[in-house]
Amino acid sequence: MMKIIKKTGLTLLFPVLMFLVMLAITASTEKCYVNGKLIFLSYDLVRQVIINACMTVCVALAIWLQLKNGRFDFSGGATMILAAIIGGNIGMNAKSAWVALIVAVVVAVILSCFTALVYIVGRLPIIICTIGMTLLYESLTYLVFNANGIRTFYSNASVSFFGRIPGVFLPTALAVAAFVLFTYFTSAGRKGKILSNNQSAGVNIGIDEKKNIFITYIYSGIILGLAAIIYVSQNSVEPQSSLATSSIMFSYIVPVFMGTFIGMASCDVIGIIIAAIGMEILNYGLNCLNLGAGGWQQIIMGVFVLGFYAFSAQIGTIQNILNRLTHKTAKAAP
Amino acid sequence: MKTMKKITSLVLAGAMTASLAGGVTAQAADGKKCTIGVAFYQDSGLAVDATKAYLESLSDTLNVSFTYTVLSMTDEAVNLTTVQELISSGVDGIICTMDLGMTSIVSECEAAGVYIGGYLCDYDTSYTSAYEQVFQSDYFVGTAIDGQAPDDVTGGTTFFESLIEYNERAEEPITHVSMTIFPSWAYPSQQTLADQFVAAVEEYNETAETPITVDPLDEETDILQFTTMDSTYFSKHPDAQAIISFAAGTSFVYPTMVQSGVDLKLFTTSFEGGEEENFGSNGTQTFQQNMVTAVESITYPLVLLLNAINGVEFADQPEDAERVSCSQFCINSDEDMEIFQNSIYYTANANDAMFTAEEVLNMTAYANEEATYADLKDILSHMTIEDLQ
Repeated sequence: MMKIIKKTGLTLLFPVLMFLVMLAITASTEKCYVNGKLIFLSYDLVRQVIINACMTVCVALAIWLQLKNGRFDFSGGATMILAAIIGGNIGMNAKSAWVALIVAVVVAVILSCFTALVYIVGRLPIIICTIGMTLLYESLTYLVFNANGIRTFYSNASVSFFGRIPGVFLPTALAVAAFVLFTYFTSAGRKGKILSNNQSAGVNIGIDEKKNIFITYIYSGIILGLAAIIYVSQNSVEPQSSLATSSIMFSYIVPVFMGTFIGMASCDVIGIIIAAIGMEILNYGLNCLNLGAGGWQQIIMGVFVLGFYAFSAQIGTIQNILNRLTHKTAKAAP
Repeated sequence: MKTMKKITSLVLAGAMTASLAGGVTAQAADGKKCTIGVAFYQDSGLAVDATKAYLESLSDTLNVSFTYTVLSMTDEAVNLTTVQELISSGVDGIICTMDLGMTSIVSECEAAGVYIGGYLCDYDTSYTSAYEQVFQSDYFVGTAIDGQAPDDVTGGTTFFESLIEYNERAEEPITHVSMTIFPSWAYPSQQTLADQFVAAVEEYNETAETPITVDPLDEETDILQFTTMDSTYFSKHPDAQAIISFAAGTSFVYPTMVQSGVDLKLFTTSFEGGEEENFGSNGTQTFQQNMVTAVESITYPLVLLLNAINGVEFADQPEDAERVSCSQFCINSDEDMEIFQNSIYYTANANDAMFTAEEVLNMTAYANEEATYADLKDILSHMTIEDLQ
């Protein structure tokens, strides 16, 4: 029981600390008060953190799914954007959020499978393969729907249901479920772990690597499709070029690395969710301080993320020092 | 017989001379066959599609083929390379929509003997810091601005008038507004627009029964750094019933409004497509004003370029190139929106354009001796919703 409480406490420590720090900073800043009210403590905080964290969780899970299987996939962003454009336009014509969701997921799975096929058949290094596929999918964004992308989907209240509370919970829950199902309840997920740790050993004990890649891409396609429906329900999506989609995707990468560290107290999926919530609290606090965009935001985020990674990398050393100090204190005690 | 041969020769020679002269006249009227490169600020969107449709409709009559490219909004070197590529492809003239790296670009055009004009851009940086290199260059023909020049701004009053018109027809008039602008270093005229709007409201409040409160522009909150407005804007302006966005509100303000679920009115510049669903009395009734420049304003640099390529100029053409303000479509009622939806800007159908190819040809100095620069400039001040009717 104590173990569970300890793990829960450690897992929740990051967002709670982040909330308290941002609360202290905003509460001591005059410009965060409007009509005598602290704007940080408004319902908007809850809404924005939830909405943004849901989007971040979906993309972060898609990135992490490939990453933990030993692949750094650049094409995820392009897959998501193209699925968002196609799903959004078809959903808009059908005037149905459900149609948009289904089409986005189907398109993302098809595109992911095609990427996997090119990777397997082409025997290309993953970076070369996925950069090539990114450029290909980005070019397709100019060829479908008269290169107009999808602009009005998010502003239509009924079709953009999955971009707001409570609709946003469904694709997020499905994405988490797909990730958990693949990672913990399928043999492909477990085999993927073996392959990423030692590919040769995995192949030598009879794991069909190609099949494993294909299955992984199906699941990451499902998650990307779910991310696409949230994305198109919150943003206008324009045709993209010059690897701009990778930039969109990697803007959600920070919680992946943070989540793996936070997840040491529980599991990676919980870590990613908690990290996403913590980062969104930080973002909201910066917005209250009018530092939510531009150079200062980048500096603050960069320094924070760097500090967090440095801390997580040195956690063993810190633990040793703490242990030694505890021993010394115990010895010194009468 | 000999006499007969002489007469026949004379008749044939006469016919040849006449046909040659006729041919020369026809070529002069049509102008040289040439290519013009159009460098847009983005590669897709309503304005881009409509501009392309308009230009293509002029192509045959003006004897011009058009080639299109996209400029960078942030990288001078990219823009210079883009223009160099256009020059290498053999264009005779370029229409450029961005004032980034213009001194190098104009130098490049001078060296290559290629003329360049501006569209949807006030070239304020060049105007204030490189006038000699750009506006006095023999190869820069002038620019049609997206709205008004920074020293000729009147749009703030237009926003105020739209607000008053809305209040006159609305059951619940708007009494409290906030504003947004882009940074002054990029759009110097927007601060002037905001000042003008505030001045107009203050003047109105002197006699109004229900005064209007305008939240003063907060340097940190209300100046959008080319990123979508953040949701705390609404907490920082808790009493605002409408946002007056001199910045492009459809892209930078509206998404946050939708995501945050706020029920405010939006008066903005720009029209990206889709606003009509929530405009005026439709849908959520969020949009109450959109303001855009007609795509036909590209006629100004186009005609000047064609003149230059054909080696002629208007008798009344000024020595230095000019930046000319354009009147805009101010759409602030359901009726206006209906009219606007029949314009080429919305339909991308050249049949809906304000000018036919023959009319544009008639504006050039080589096809019409009576055409004047004053007339060409004048068309830019007749591109309002009223002119569409």
